[in-house]
Amino acid sequence: MTSKDPCCCTEHLAMAFIPKQEWCEPYDLCTALKEGTIFPCLNLAFYKAPLGEIDLPAVSDSSDSKQQKRETAMKRMMEVGFALNDLTLYLDTHPECIKGLSLFRRLSKERLTLLSDFAKDFYPLTQLSMVMGNTDPKEYGWAEGPMPWEGACI
Amino acid sequence: MGRSVYLMFVYEKRLQYPVKIKNTNPNIARLVISQYGGPDGELSASMRYLSQRYTMPVKKVGGLLTDIGTEELNHLEIICAIVYQLTRDLTEEQVKTAGFDAYYIDHTKALWPQAAAGVPFTALEFQSKGDALADLFEDLAAEQKARTVYDNLLRVIDDPDVRAPLKFLRAREVVHFQRFGEALEMTKEKLNQKNCYWSNPEFDR
Repeated sequence: MTSKDPCCCTEHLAMAFIPKQEWCEPYDLCTALKEGTIFPCLNLAFYKAPLGEIDLPAVSDSSDSKQQKRETAMKRMMEVGFALNDLTLYLDTHPECIKGLSLFRRLSKERLTLLSDFAKDFYPLTQLSMVMGNTDPKEYGWAEGPMPWEGACI
Repeated sequence: MGRSVYLMFVYEKRLQYPVKIKNTNPNIARLVISQYGGPDGELSASMRYLSQRYTMPVKKVGGLLTDIGTEELNHLEIICAIVYQLTRDLTEEQVKTAGFDAYYIDHTKALWPQAAAGVPFTALEFQSKGDALADLFEDLAAEQKARTVYDNLLRVIDDPDVRAPLKFLRAREVVHFQRFGEALEMTKEKLNQKNCYWSNPEFDR
C-alpha cells in the first residue's frame, strides 16, 4: 500500500490538500498568548475581533505587592506554557525543524525554573513542584492557592 | 519522539489563558455554555480526538490527536471558568429575568454540559469511525464548526473580559485545523498513490 511517490505533495482528484506550514518567526510570547498562536502566519483574525483589539487582563496595580508579584509570575508562566503548547503541535508535524526544537528546549528549561520559583514564592502548580517549594515534610500544600477558575490571578 | 509534555494526564493549577470577569451576566453565560456541552464544544472535541487516536495508522498522527485532545480539556476548563464567573454572584432577581431561569431550575449555578438551546451533551455529537481519512476530515470539519461558534459568540458578546478568551480560543481552532491538515498529508503517504480510497489503513494492514 505504501508508495514511494506518495500523493501527499500533489493535487489529487477527490482528495483535499493542505500545504505544510513553513517556520515563521514567532511573536514575542506576550503577543502570542494574546493572539492565540505563536505564529503570525497562522493568525487569521475574524473581523469582529481584529488583531490587537483585545487585551489580556492587566496585572493588578493594587498596593498588595505580593499579589502583584504573583500575577507577574503567573503571566510569564502562562506565556511560556502557551508557547510550549503551540510549539508541541507544530513539532508533532515538523519533528525535524531545528529552530522549533531549539525554542522548545529553551522554553522548557525556563518553564522548569518558573514552576520551581512559583512553588517557592507562592504555592505549587503541579504535584511535582510540591517538592520544589515547600521543604516542610509535615505540610501537604496541594490545596494552597486559589483554584484556576476563580479569576484570582491576572 | 517522546516529546510530548504530557506523560499522563496530570493537573496543573492554572488556565491556558486567564479568565477574569468583572460583571455578572447570565444571558451571556447561557450562550457560552454551548462550547462546554454543545455539538461543536470543547468536550466533544476532546472526546473525539482522544477516542480516535488508538487506531490511527500513523504514530505521529496518534500523538497529535493526544496533544490536541489534551489541549481541548484545558479549553473546556476555560469555558467553564467563563460561565462560572458570569454567574457566581447571581441574585434571585437576575435568575428570574435574564433568560437563565430554565437552567437555574435544573442546575442552580453548577456547571453542566449542554448546548445553548438546552440539549444535553451526547457522544452522538462526534464520531470515531476507524478510517483515518474519514476521521481526519471529521476533525478538520470539527475545528471549522467550533470556529464558527466562536465567530457567532464574538458577534453577539460585547464584554471585553469575555471576548478576550473567546478570541484566543477561536485562534486555536484555526491552528488545530492546520495541524490536522498536516496530519492528513502524513496519512496520505500511507495510501495508494493513484487511489487514496483503495483500502482503509486503519483496518487493512
